[in-house]
Amino acid sequence: MTALSSSEGSGLRTNAPRAGNPRPATTRIASLGVRAVPALCVLGALGLGLGLIALTGVPLARALPAFARGIVGSDYALVGSLMRAVPLSLIGLGYILAERANLTNVGGEGQLAVGGIASAAVALYGGAAALPRPLAFLAPLAAGALAGALWGALAGALKARRGSNEVITTLLLGFVGLQMVYGSVQSEALLRQPRTDSSTLPESLPLPAATELPLLARGSGLPLHVGLVIALLLAVLVGLLLAKSSLGLRLAAVGQNELASRRAGLRVKSLIVLALGASGALGGLAGAIMIQGDQHYLTAGFSSGFGFDGLVVGLLARGSAWQVPLFALLFGALRSGGLAMEMSAQVPAAVVLVCQGLIVVATAAAAALGRRRA
Amino acid sequence: MIESLGVFVASTLRLATPLVLGATGEVVSERAGVLNLSLEGMMLSAAFAAALGAHASGSPLVGLGAGVLAALLLAAAQAWLSVRAGANQLVVGIGINLLALGATTFAYREIFGGLSREVIPSFEAWSVPGLASLPLVGPALFQQTPLVYAALALVGFSAWLINATSFGLALRAAGEDPRAADQAGVPVARVRMLCVLYTGACAGLAGAFLSVSSISTFTEGMTNGAGYLAVTAVILGAWRTSRVLAACLLFGAATALQFLLPALGVALPTALLTMLPYLLALAAVSGVVGRSRPPAALTLPFRRGSSR
Repeated sequence: MTALSSSEGSGLRTNAPRAGNPRPATTRIASLGVRAVPALCVLGALGLGLGLIALTGVPLARALPAFARGIVGSDYALVGSLMRAVPLSLIGLGYILAERANLTNVGGEGQLAVGGIASAAVALYGGAAALPRPLAFLAPLAAGALAGALWGALAGALKARRGSNEVITTLLLGFVGLQMVYGSVQSEALLRQPRTDSSTLPESLPLPAATELPLLARGSGLPLHVGLVIALLLAVLVGLLLAKSSLGLRLAAVGQNELASRRAGLRVKSLIVLALGASGALGGLAGAIMIQGDQHYLTAGFSSGFGFDGLVVGLLARGSAWQVPLFALLFGALRSGGLAMEMSAQVPAAVVLVCQGLIVVATAAAAALGRRRA
Repeated sequence: MIESLGVFVASTLRLATPLVLGATGEVVSERAGVLNLSLEGMMLSAAFAAALGAHASGSPLVGLGAGVLAALLLAAAQAWLSVRAGANQLVVGIGINLLALGATTFAYREIFGGLSREVIPSFEAWSVPGLASLPLVGPALFQQTPLVYAALALVGFSAWLINATSFGLALRAAGEDPRAADQAGVPVARVRMLCVLYTGACAGLAGAFLSVSSISTFTEGMTNGAGYLAVTAVILGAWRTSRVLAACLLFGAATALQFLLPALGVALPTALLTMLPYLLALAAVSGVVGRSRPPAALTLPFRRGSSR
């Protein structure tokens, strides 16, 4: 894409650097209104969800408590919601990182997938279990992040060298990644567990205990693992990187005006590869955390839409790193609550999908209309 | 062996048809500058609405109409949001897909409920007189449901629309340089919206083909990525109708091989075949094979009178 078209933006303008450039009061009030819009969209979509539940004939008095119990009803449910938010948050952080350079990473699902494959491969066959304790689980995590980084950087390199639209390449690489998980658990030469009888499932062996993520509350038996800490630390790190570091400023410069950045001596191509690579690394790390923390084995389709949900989380956060974990928590809670509602109140979990879809569409529209007024 | 060749050709055509229908519609939108990831959702809603319409009325034709209507509804949403409101096309598309998956799954459970896998009234195969009795490929090529022939006709129509009409000139201008098109008097927004609606109508046929022509039933999430595959075919086909058709047939053949090869005793990992379309498209956009250049203004919203 030319500098002109990239300065026109893909519709996902960030409020990138505007320090030292205070806007007039009227704009500030308008932008306050725009900032409340995501919350309004979420509320509206949830309202419609209530309507759908009413349509099923299940009394709200039965469905809603089931929904709430699924999110915070027990320590176990609460931990489940938190753990679902971890990969969503990481993908969302990756999304806003690339977004800062005006790059749209829609390949989160594939970055999750290759991260999961690499993590499982290193944990099972890379000798990670034999390493001393912190390395035993850190090595597969690093492998996952590295695989995701390569996946993202590949799209970045294609854009920098060949001018290929990163939207198209990350999307295509996403599908390739998903198929790679499927392929690697189908073949015993790859990651499939040895076939002992005809009922052996196409999955990997369970991961060695040493490579699983350490639990935070060991005594309680809750699956609250260290992935939560990693996700929070990275939210702070990405926030600092975007707001305070020179790298953040350089990414924003490339995002705002590629030609001017090049004239100013920035290495635009390297920055594009770096932005998509870092974005992919966060996705790959999320995949490794899902495998080592939650699933404990590799199976086809383990990423089950987390990549796309994470993209939405990043989108809703509108470039703000500290908002990413909040929206991740919301989406993690929606998933947990929806599953519980389906199981104990027989309300299809599809209601949650409808709500999510509405939130996405409404937010995108509101963002565009808000920009138009401003 | 010869028998399986006939089966292979027939199933290639059957598997490629929804892709052909979806992709020939999508190519028109993309040439005008709008990328509809919502193709997947449009096709899924159409498949459901067609099944519902055919089930309720007993006529697959009514089902087809219902399917097209459902897809047009989503296309109108995509068109208004991404063209008039200037929202991010991809994000709107992903949102519509979530919405369509949720809504069809929900409605399917509520309406069909326990009667899952109900057989839906569907189109009969139609033999082209004379040709269908040709040896070998006769039945495979000339004994198909009407929508298969319609798909091929639609490719011709889309090609004519894009390349030989004044509307086609306008839409290509809107996709390459909307500002210049606007200055030359082309109503960019209206052209783009019409193109997205055209995509919607084609996606409606594609979805209806799945539920009332190919398989006479609806299952949850039955498109299973076919819409994304159609978008991929547009990329591999370098935004040219004839090449897009070839890409769709290639993808259909790759899928057909997944079923044929095990039957012939050939052990090839199926994941390789399912990955093939995406790898080929990647090679195409990165210039490894040929050079596939998207329309210059693809995914970029256009706003009259704005300087940036």
